[in-house]
Amino acid sequence: MVILAIRLLLSPVGDNVSGLSPGEENVTDDGLVQQGLDDLAGEAAVLRVYRQAFAVLAREAEKMILSPQLLDVDEAILSAFAASGSDGLTEEQVRNACRAFPEPTVSRRFEVLKGYGAVTKVFERPNERYYRAAFAPYIMLLFLRRIAERGGQSELHQLLSLEHESVSAATATDADGRASVERLTQVFRLIANELSIMSLGADVVQLRENAQLLWGNEALIRRAEKVHATVLERWPSLDRECQWLRAGLAAYRDAIDAAAARLIERAGTTRALGLLPAEEWRTFARTADTERLGAVLDGFVFDAPAPWFDPQVMTEAVETGGRPDTARMPPPRPVGDADPTETSPATDQDTIRATVEDLLATRDFVEVNEVLRMAPDWAAARRLLAQLTAAHHDPALPYALTWAEGLDVAEAASPAWVTPGRLTRTETQP
Amino acid sequence: MTGPDETALAWARARAGGPLRVPVGTPAPAGMLRLPEPSGDGAWLVPQVPETADARVLAEMGLAGPLLEQPNDTARLLAAVLRCCWPDPLAPIWPGVTAGSAPVLAVFGELTGPRDEMAHRRSAVAALRRLDQAGWLLWDETADTIRLGPRVALWSGSDLSTLRQLWRTMPGPQPAPPAPEAAP
Repeated sequence: MVILAIRLLLSPVGDNVSGLSPGEENVTDDGLVQQGLDDLAGEAAVLRVYRQAFAVLAREAEKMILSPQLLDVDEAILSAFAASGSDGLTEEQVRNACRAFPEPTVSRRFEVLKGYGAVTKVFERPNERYYRAAFAPYIMLLFLRRIAERGGQSELHQLLSLEHESVSAATATDADGRASVERLTQVFRLIANELSIMSLGADVVQLRENAQLLWGNEALIRRAEKVHATVLERWPSLDRECQWLRAGLAAYRDAIDAAAARLIERAGTTRALGLLPAEEWRTFARTADTERLGAVLDGFVFDAPAPWFDPQVMTEAVETGGRPDTARMPPPRPVGDADPTETSPATDQDTIRATVEDLLATRDFVEVNEVLRMAPDWAAARRLLAQLTAAHHDPALPYALTWAEGLDVAEAASPAWVTPGRLTRTETQP
Repeated sequence: MTGPDETALAWARARAGGPLRVPVGTPAPAGMLRLPEPSGDGAWLVPQVPETADARVLAEMGLAGPLLEQPNDTARLLAAVLRCCWPDPLAPIWPGVTAGSAPVLAVFGELTGPRDEMAHRRSAVAALRRLDQAGWLLWDETADTIRLGPRVALWSGSDLSTLRQLWRTMPGPQPAPPAPEAAP
């Protein structure tokens, strides 16, 4: 089962080396809400855990999934199979079921799943079109997502409970106890090493990302000690192994202290409240009592009630003071190129109305080419055309300009060619 | 001399009421600045917190400080008072000299630009009240005189050099502004 899941999550080189191919951006564009930075950070955390979990299993570098969206595609494919019943699905049906995602991505993932055996033919024969999916990859997906969400810590708690159960069981042998203690020693040594290396060398951002390892660790250590006590009581001969576990736990404790001290120290010098995730602060604010909350500001004295005058601010105030007119002037525009509806709408409306009414006189419509050919020269015709267009686009004016097909060419006339059109008064004159 | 209780009390008073006026001979509690009155009649106690804990921290943390109405006009008026009551910008800023309200208002008018007479007067008086209340200046309303308040002593050395530059850019209280070389 594990092997299958691993196959699912490993993908061939070049499947998605650059992380985000244009296809996947479509996934996010497709109706999904634009993701905030928090979501992206969450996804990055998910991916980090995935990578860590599978780093030992990948045969070569870059043969792993590099984008959380691909996992969504996998999930969609597997859920399509889940909904399909016992007949299985053809590849086309899968693509249809996953049409929310870009088709090339779906086919590529399907190929990958097929290649690793997560999706197999219903009957092993040539030209078989129906496929079925194994259940294991989906379970692995669920499991991984769970680990990723909680940073693996609750799994560690559960693991500790299980270990405790198994060593307390009446049928347990000293071999079980030894194996159990050895497993726990490894786990805590690894965590402690990771933490202490980070607390020595890593930047604060990295430390903060891994802050999950720091929280709630007391309970973790207590549980481990319980296992340790049970084992030591039942099989005193295992004291060597138990000593290692004790050392591992102590190292973990030291690493926590070192990392926390570094975080606190950095927080103290920068006053950067963003060192911890916002959730941690919220939890703290909700659960801490008044004294603990107050202790946060122990080192601060605020002389708040009187306003403070910063000389810089004063200088700015004085400098901006003497200008009587700070109203913004519109930037100069090229003369004659202005859109008549934009510059000063109120007066323009009247001019346009007057012009158009002049042209229309008592009629309800007028031919555009007539009007333009009447103009004394090309520039005047252009101005007229601009005014007609403005009259058409101004919602307050009751005129519409409609254009016909074709081109009216007259060699001698002033605009040599005009598209026939007509300016109509759309409603009765007020 | 002062015990922890007196110190704490003085701090609490200053926290609530701003700079404290104390009789002559009162020792300064820990962390407070003692500013003698130029007349020799008593002294002012101003709480002086370290620079890492004063109002600037609020700005650094992006928190809102105490709300100040008309912040720009108030700052301009403080600048005008500074120009009139700090005759020599190389000398210490406290205690400065006393100035009548008329020259201060004239400088303030120069800084704010042309305004309706009433509006000008109104904004100047409002700013005077605000600054007086906060201890940035002392305004004797009956005598109509103004001088710098004890809180100005909290400006640090770098603040003062900025203020000196500001002082030089402002027109003086007299109709004929003194030439820059005139400063000793």
